[in-house]
Amino acid sequence: MTQKALQVRNLQKCFDAFTAVRKVDFEVQQGEIFSLLGPNGAGKSTTISMLSCLLEPSGGEAYVMGHSVTKEAQAVKRAIGVVPQDIALYGDLSARENLSFWGKMYGLRGNALAKRVDEVLEIIRLTERQKDRVDKFSGGMKRRVNIGVALMHKPAVIIMDEPTVGIDPQSRRHILDNIKELNSQGMTVLYTTHYMEEAQELSDHIAIMDQGEIIACGTHTELVRMVGELDRIELTINVDSENVIADWQATAGVHRVSAEDGHLTILAEDSNLILPHLFESATQAKVRITSVDIQEPNLEAVFLHLTGKALRE
Amino acid sequence: MNIIDVAVKDLRRVFRSVFALIMMFGAPLLIAGLLYFAFGGLASGSGSFTLARTRVIIANLDQISPSASSFKAGDMLIKFLQNEDLTDILELTMAPDEVSARSAVDRQQADVALIIPANFTQAALTPDQNAAVLLYQDPTLTIGPGIVKDLVNHFMDGFSGAKIAAEVTHAAAQASGSRPDLSLSAWASQQYATYLESSSHAAALHNTSPSGSTEQTASGLAMIGPIMAGMMIFFVFFMGANGAESIIREHEEGTLSRLFTTPASAITILGGKFVGVFVTLVIQTTVLLAASALIFHISWGEPLSVGLATFGLIVAATGFGVMLMSFIKSTRQTGPILGGVLTLTGMVGGLITNGIPNIPAIMDKIALTMPQGWAMHTWKLTLAGSNAGAIILPVMVLLILGALFFTVGLMLFRRRFI
Repeated sequence: MTQKALQVRNLQKCFDAFTAVRKVDFEVQQGEIFSLLGPNGAGKSTTISMLSCLLEPSGGEAYVMGHSVTKEAQAVKRAIGVVPQDIALYGDLSARENLSFWGKMYGLRGNALAKRVDEVLEIIRLTERQKDRVDKFSGGMKRRVNIGVALMHKPAVIIMDEPTVGIDPQSRRHILDNIKELNSQGMTVLYTTHYMEEAQELSDHIAIMDQGEIIACGTHTELVRMVGELDRIELTINVDSENVIADWQATAGVHRVSAEDGHLTILAEDSNLILPHLFESATQAKVRITSVDIQEPNLEAVFLHLTGKALRE
Repeated sequence: MNIIDVAVKDLRRVFRSVFALIMMFGAPLLIAGLLYFAFGGLASGSGSFTLARTRVIIANLDQISPSASSFKAGDMLIKFLQNEDLTDILELTMAPDEVSARSAVDRQQADVALIIPANFTQAALTPDQNAAVLLYQDPTLTIGPGIVKDLVNHFMDGFSGAKIAAEVTHAAAQASGSRPDLSLSAWASQQYATYLESSSHAAALHNTSPSGSTEQTASGLAMIGPIMAGMMIFFVFFMGANGAESIIREHEEGTLSRLFTTPASAITILGGKFVGVFVTLVIQTTVLLAASALIFHISWGEPLSVGLATFGLIVAATGFGVMLMSFIKSTRQTGPILGGVLTLTGMVGGLITNGIPNIPAIMDKIALTMPQGWAMHTWKLTLAGSNAGAIILPVMVLLILGALFFTVGLMLFRRRFI
């Protein structure tokens, strides 16, 4: 039987009266990509900090490659590579010096260290710029070095906390391809994001988190099935009108309406039947619909279905 | 091994920082040098300052008295000013008359004109006669003419004294009914002239530096040693705090948290950072001692004493820096801490004022309330050539203070990060 890469049981973290993570449970098989999807403040980073032995859990237990994060921290730390959300590098050192230093912190020395630095520079495609100071790099290049550091000791599990935040599409694409490549080589990936598309593209399993809890967990298909055959209608209107939104909410066939700054997301059974009524109602209230977009059910719809709010909120 | 890795990484970062290099080496040498040249007055290295020679033009109008043909007061004054002890400060030329002498000053060909009156010898020999030597000077000058005036006064006072002695004797003889000897005044003046000619200390003018005794200046650059020691201590304490600040900086940059995700223990990581600070200060102190010895010719003292003083300084500075930084929350607070606290404690510790002579003794006692004061005390002893036994007490105080500060700082850092 294959050992599980991660086992999380009733994991909990409280900061005084505030509970950041509430009895979280999930398992990650070796060699899979598992995503924690949720808005900012959902508790993803706190969960990751406990799995990285940076925070002590207030309750519950977690195991990484069979090692307890509370009792066998050293073994856990050897098994994981952590990619923090913010760039955590020494800007006044070169890319090679950074990788070399972090490699040493995992016990690599001499030729083995030099060889591994070369390999990682290849993986993150920065061999040409290896001698340049990191603070001279673009945001995307820094992100790549940030990931490279976590790969230095060939960890069994790599934990990535929103590694694509604030970078250009090209660098983002490169990082996602890197993750798939690493996973194809057998590395287990625990990935957190608030980008639904990333979780959808990368993950074997996804846990949706909100307010410190996992509210749904499964494969992408399993999760989408939770909202059935509902269409997701994205609308923008020129003025916020509570009357119109209340009217739409009460319309037969409409399951959920979420509104934010004139942008509405509606879950409905059949968009073809619903849309004429929406336009009519808006016209009567002298509200102008400025754009309409109808989408197939996805994780955004799942989140809306489960929480009553959009993932971006 | 990871302790060394962290320390080497920190050293690499420090020595790549232009700011750190300036604060480590540039600032202490520069400030000490500026203070030295501004207030030390020891630039020549001989202990004496250089004074421009004063150009004196003399019109000697003195007419020789027929009654004392061998005595010429005007010539005596000129001879007095020509004394070899005065050749460094006076440059004498002769003018045929008063107009020529004055004209030379007006044309700035001379700084001072000295007009010896025609009745100069006569007045010196005759009780009831007076004569005035005229000093005509460039109004923009003060020091040179002042010296000439003092020298002439010194010469004239001698003659006046001789005349007064003769006149008193004359009056006493009259009062007792004896017949007064009218030649007594001339005799007294001639005696003084003879004394002046034979005296080796006729022109007792010595110019010394403001630092005081000839002995001090002869030992070479007495002021620069304490000044440099003060600057070195100040900037070593600064770098101690600056090095400890890297813990806060790494915390803000996220690298400290990332370090804690590696298998290295928190104690190893913090230990590596403290070793980095310590080694930085060792390098800084060594370079400053060597550079100042080369640039300012400072003799720091016996090697063992210097080694002990260096060790005490570095331990105290590292401990003080770690404790100081353990109180602050973010790097935004480090400016006031580094600038304010270190300047204040450094000033109380006597680092800024130690080169100033005649500081009240109480200030030395107040200075010892600060670790910088003990460091300064240690280095003053070392500079004075004290052996290891003589400085062991202040060094021990520095080590104890350093250990105490370090323990407090480590406890606060541990509570915060571990």
